[in-house]
Amino acid sequence: MGFVFRFLLRRALQGVVIMLLVSMAIFTILRWDDSKKDTPARLILGPMATQDSIDRKTEELGFNDPIPVQYLAYIANVFRGDLGTSYIRAESGMSLGATQDDIQTQRASVMRLMTGSLPMTLQLAAVALFIAMLIAVPIGVAAGLNQGHWPDRLAVYLSSIFVSLPNFWLGIVLAFLLTAQLGWLPSIGYKGFAYTILPATVIAIEMAPLFIRSLSVSIAAAVRQNFIALAHVRGIPSHTIFLRNVLRNIAVPNLNLFGVQIGALLGGVLIVEYIFNYPGFGLLTVQAVSQRDYPVIQGISIISSAIFVIANILVDLVSAKIDPRVEL
Amino acid sequence: MLDVAGLSVELARETESRVILDEVSFSVPERGLIGIVGESGAGKTVLGRALTGWVPEPLRQTAGSVSIDGRVLTTLKPEELRQIRGRTIGYIGSDPGTSFDPTIPIGVQIAQKLRAVVPGTSRDAAKKRVLDLLDQVRIPSAARRFDEYPYQFSGGMLQRAAIVDALVAKPKILICDNITQPLDVTIAAQIVRLLRGLERDLATAIVFFTASIPVAKELIDDLLVLEKGRIIERGGIGAVIAKPVSPHTKRLIDSSPRIWGQNVDVPRPAPAKEAKSEPLLLVADVVKTYRVPDRTRFTGTLDVKAVRGVTLEIRPGENVGLVGESGCGKSTLSRLLSWIEEPDAGRIVFQGKDMASLRGKERLAMRRRFQLLLQDPYNCLPPHLSVARTIRTSLDIHGVKGAEARDKVRAVMHEVGLKDEDAERLPIGMSAGQRQRVNIARALVLEPTLLILDETLSSLDPAEQSRLIDLFERLQVKHGLTYLVISHDLALVRKVCNRVAVMYLGKIVENAGNAQIFDQPSNPYTRALLSAVPVLDKGPFNPAECLVEGEPPSPINVPTGCSFASRCPKAQDLCRTDEPAFTPLGDGRGGVACHFPFV
Repeated sequence: MGFVFRFLLRRALQGVVIMLLVSMAIFTILRWDDSKKDTPARLILGPMATQDSIDRKTEELGFNDPIPVQYLAYIANVFRGDLGTSYIRAESGMSLGATQDDIQTQRASVMRLMTGSLPMTLQLAAVALFIAMLIAVPIGVAAGLNQGHWPDRLAVYLSSIFVSLPNFWLGIVLAFLLTAQLGWLPSIGYKGFAYTILPATVIAIEMAPLFIRSLSVSIAAAVRQNFIALAHVRGIPSHTIFLRNVLRNIAVPNLNLFGVQIGALLGGVLIVEYIFNYPGFGLLTVQAVSQRDYPVIQGISIISSAIFVIANILVDLVSAKIDPRVEL
Repeated sequence: MLDVAGLSVELARETESRVILDEVSFSVPERGLIGIVGESGAGKTVLGRALTGWVPEPLRQTAGSVSIDGRVLTTLKPEELRQIRGRTIGYIGSDPGTSFDPTIPIGVQIAQKLRAVVPGTSRDAAKKRVLDLLDQVRIPSAARRFDEYPYQFSGGMLQRAAIVDALVAKPKILICDNITQPLDVTIAAQIVRLLRGLERDLATAIVFFTASIPVAKELIDDLLVLEKGRIIERGGIGAVIAKPVSPHTKRLIDSSPRIWGQNVDVPRPAPAKEAKSEPLLLVADVVKTYRVPDRTRFTGTLDVKAVRGVTLEIRPGENVGLVGESGCGKSTLSRLLSWIEEPDAGRIVFQGKDMASLRGKERLAMRRRFQLLLQDPYNCLPPHLSVARTIRTSLDIHGVKGAEARDKVRAVMHEVGLKDEDAERLPIGMSAGQRQRVNIARALVLEPTLLILDETLSSLDPAEQSRLIDLFERLQVKHGLTYLVISHDLALVRKVCNRVAVMYLGKIVENAGNAQIFDQPSNPYTRALLSAVPVLDKGPFNPAECLVEGEPPSPINVPTGCSFASRCPKAQDLCRTDEPAFTPLGDGRGGVACHFPFV
């Protein structure tokens, strides 16, 4: 098992490097703007602040230091578990707006903002994945086992339709139909689990075509393999062959697709949460960007890349467990 | 018991329909070994599969029937057919590498099959039965191998495992489709011997499909000859070989490899060695080791010692053969000689120039002089380029342009037997032989002096093979070419090579002239290799004395002492401790690396 530890060590180190690069890039880009118009101090103190108090604030927060120095200070805090403090938001989660009030404790810590919204997004992502699988697995499997026949064509048509629906449009239409007109499902905001279903469906419909395609192609390729044909000649029942051999052999490519899709999932969440005003990571991101709440944007980028890195390490571990030939 | 009556199978596609099997009839008794011999494309594989009721689209069974114990397979319900397939018939395919699920341990897969076809077998009973059989087919340390995955097995071991899988539910008939074809001769000989023993011990009828009459002769009692889907000859194997009725059978017998006996072709002698002639290629103590990560430890790598110090000299105009089993380092050596990879140690000197000392343009210019031709004619031509473009690309790289290049391409195509109208064709739709001619043209257009043929002729049928041998001979006379022929096909090497080097586990263990190697080999390994070659004439070496059991050691754990000691019938204590050095035998008899050579 030595190679598993070596793998974990190597990948963890790689992951840390990736996260450092991402945070460095985001940090630097956010501070590149040297128009001096909306400096962080101005954002915090508001348009009514005097130049004097802004200068004092700027000095106090270290914004006059060179960017690398600022970054080092920031990343040192990150390693201590402190992602900084929002410029704009209060502990209550409400936007404070610009205020000259200097009491920093009133503003929310980034960590706190994220621990509030991340579980919401994870819930949304899990439900979305579940619905996507509910759609993709039966269609993809049927298409893979019946290449060139009607299930295969159905899968292609359905996937094309799903792919062509823009998520913001679909979100608005579904909210209008199912919530406003018919009143079947709640949406907009969050007051209980039922509020997850509509946004999750929108994300699921966006992701399903990829999984349908990947499943059908990999299953079609697997059943053409010699050992699958021979398994029938060896007298093994068809359903056993499917469950035992076909599924195992398509697991690795599909898991890898899943690992890559996590990035797309996080991106999809962004827009859909905004449309549905769903209080998760995506909404936090959109608001932080529009309010130029730099510490929040940085925190989000670090956590997102961590999720991506960890998920892909898990995918590779599971792949190696399933297929002994996978090199770790 | 198994009865085939008037079986006809057709290939039916939208664009074409072709007869694959044409009214094939025969029956297999309770016991006995039946051999069905035919060239590639004769319909062997389709027939073998049809015997299990496996006629997949686009094939269609148009007439006749296959019945087992009086039950016609095509009339059975799927569940009944499944029962018969698992319990009454055992089927072994020709490609052991793809016969097992790569993600499940071998033993587990076989036990799963037993439990699927014999309901009520306990997990432990299934495992015990599989272990017993793995022992019986002589897979070493069966208990450990049970839990290993297909990629950890060699081809020969996989084929043994496939035999176990076929036999595990005690079938009445065993169908073997060309199962020795992809294996090395020594391993194939072991498998044939194993099958003979199993037929005796297990009271199973065996239907054995093969393209080789000598292999059939080793094993079977009754012979059927298949040509273009028809059975054209049948009878006892001895009688058919002695007096074939059909001209096709006679041709098959005549084209069987011959190594010894009267009408054996031997190469024309190499040009007499001038006392001071420089060797064309000098290979001195060349070593190549590959690093692979060690999966059992936290850090560290394993060394795969592919080539462990090879010394070889090739003189101008000479044909040198390099033979050995798969995994012995032949192909790695060919990659080193053609400078695709650089050796870790040792020198490769071509026409007096050390390849390692050449850089850039000089090296490119030198590269023109030696060209490598590979085995697989299908994957080494760019599919989207016309034949002429492919050949011209070689010239482009070496800076020959315009009308001169055009003329050269046309001339070389004529030389290798391609027609003008082939110039604009794409490789798709060309036969293996034609593709190989394109490859030869592509190399030849650069006017090389040395051609390295790495299994170049191995995938061709005998007729095409002998046409290309003629072509190589003509080219040699005209251009003064020198050939290095790397092959596992000893009959081919016997036919074309003046001198033969035998390789085992990364070293050359014997190197001598053609007659010396084939008639009086000194190294016991050479004898083992020769005794395993299936030939119709009686060979000078008795397989019972020379044939080796087991497989070569892994190049990762090279044993101390002589690397062949673990399989050698003559091995003594000295062989297990000291590695024999390569020593000349004198009198022009070449040299050998062995403590106790035959003299």
